[in-house]
Amino acid sequence: MRGLFASRVWTAALVSGFAVLAALPFVADDYAIGVGLALLMWLALTESWCVLSKMTGYVSLGSVVFYGLGATLVVVTWQKIPLWVALPAAGLVAAAFAALVGGPVLRVRGPYFVILTYGLAELVKYSIIAAESAAGTASRILFGAPDLATIYFAMFALALAATLLLAWVSGSRFGHGLRSLRENEEAAETLGVPVVRYKLAAFVLSAAIPGMVGGVMALRSTYFVVGQVFDPMLSVTVIAMAVLGGGDDTRGPLLGVVFLALLSELLWARAPLLYMVLLGAILVVFVLLVPDGLVGLFDRSGRRRVAASKEAS
Amino acid sequence: MSAPLLSVRGLGKRFGGLVALADVSFDVAEGETVGVMGANGAGKTTLFSLIAGNERPTTGRIEVDGRSTAGLSPDRVCRLGVGRTFQIVKPFPALTVRENLRTAAMFGRAAMPNAAVADRSTQPVLDALGLADAADQPAGTLTLSGQKRLEIARAVATGARVVLLDEVMAGLTPTEVAQMLETLRRLRASHGLTLLVIEHVMRALMDLCARIVVLHHGECIAIGTPDEIGADPRVLSAYLGSSA
Repeated sequence: MRGLFASRVWTAALVSGFAVLAALPFVADDYAIGVGLALLMWLALTESWCVLSKMTGYVSLGSVVFYGLGATLVVVTWQKIPLWVALPAAGLVAAAFAALVGGPVLRVRGPYFVILTYGLAELVKYSIIAAESAAGTASRILFGAPDLATIYFAMFALALAATLLLAWVSGSRFGHGLRSLRENEEAAETLGVPVVRYKLAAFVLSAAIPGMVGGVMALRSTYFVVGQVFDPMLSVTVIAMAVLGGGDDTRGPLLGVVFLALLSELLWARAPLLYMVLLGAILVVFVLLVPDGLVGLFDRSGRRRVAASKEAS
Repeated sequence: MSAPLLSVRGLGKRFGGLVALADVSFDVAEGETVGVMGANGAGKTTLFSLIAGNERPTTGRIEVDGRSTAGLSPDRVCRLGVGRTFQIVKPFPALTVRENLRTAAMFGRAAMPNAAVADRSTQPVLDALGLADAADQPAGTLTLSGQKRLEIARAVATGARVVLLDEVMAGLTPTEVAQMLETLRRLRASHGLTLLVIEHVMRALMDLCARIVVLHHGECIAIGTPDEIGADPRVLSAYLGSSA
């Protein structure tokens, strides 16, 4: 699973990938930078999602709630507090929300948890819509937002942070505890894993970066509608990317995100009508035929190569 | 004799209207092996769940090395030195056998700081239970007998002082039972374990245990050496009917 083939080749690919993305704003046009920004956004969201959902098996359909809370915070404090305070605060608010609801929410497992996280995100969405309309605001426009390159580098930092976070969790003692409770919660608890505390910690960790991502994306669109920043499609896309990627380390999200983000960019341009159909078909094929995702495919071909070279020598 | 390592006083558990366990008291001294015997539904597994913290007792006290543990969560009880196996095995199926033991060594009383140290510390346990050859395969691929041995290996790898063994010999062939008895005796000596053993294989209980606790409908009807238990009229009537 975390074999020798994986580590060295992978680290090299990861570092060069980030290097290319770091150089992008200096050489590319605005369209390419926009594609890069989308890639980084999905990467930050999906790597964060994996900290909870891939590591513990608690599949959350609520990523968007953190994104939306972060976006809302940055928008309502716009030109009231400086951005360098507002963005970390967006992460903090998302993490605090996770800490607040995590206790009761993480008591249910499986499909119940999925539904609950979805319902929670909708609840927050409609509460904020109600608050906005009570205040008489239908939408907000941000004047004087930073330029695209600044936004891009902020997102770059978040994607890098999310990747490093998952890499750390995946290889740590904490991560081993999370994997154990994913496999069997009662056994893990009986062997000394503090499951309640660990699940909550993973939930909070998985919330902070999406909160900041939401804040940054609010600056990008400069036009704020609550229904849009709390769009459940965002949560669904994150899951699709994680499923396509597979595995429970940093590789899965990256492979899934690159694959799906580039594919959707191509399809949007070439076949806008077929876009969702093809996307759905790909997801079905992966779930049925490649349940361990692109990482699984890579590892299998890697193992075959190792086996072949062993036989040859 | 010094203070007991495990002490149970007036322990009871009710599930709604059903009394699963009522007023059970006994002590287990350090290094001692005590058997728990009784028909299905007598409350044996409930007793284990209460001691290990998986269930909260309705009444009574549990002390491990003088510390009260009743009502603590299972992970805290584990870190205080109690390991348990599950009658219905609960491996981490997608993790390798070695990774299964790693969890126990890192998070149990042993509290190994990292994977490498944990793996080194669990190697003797893998060897003792005949799991060394399977160490790198997913635990889900083990046979049932292998998974039963994995349960024991994990419980021991936590660094537990008291290990609760719940029917680890059920379903084994007579040859395997003999091997398992030998393995348990060796582990007990090498790790200085105190054992509490639920078993339906009578020969195993008689062979391994200094004393036996007999449960019947949730109540403790006898405590004594295997010979005393074998001659106790209440035990005979519970097992063979009142005319015996």
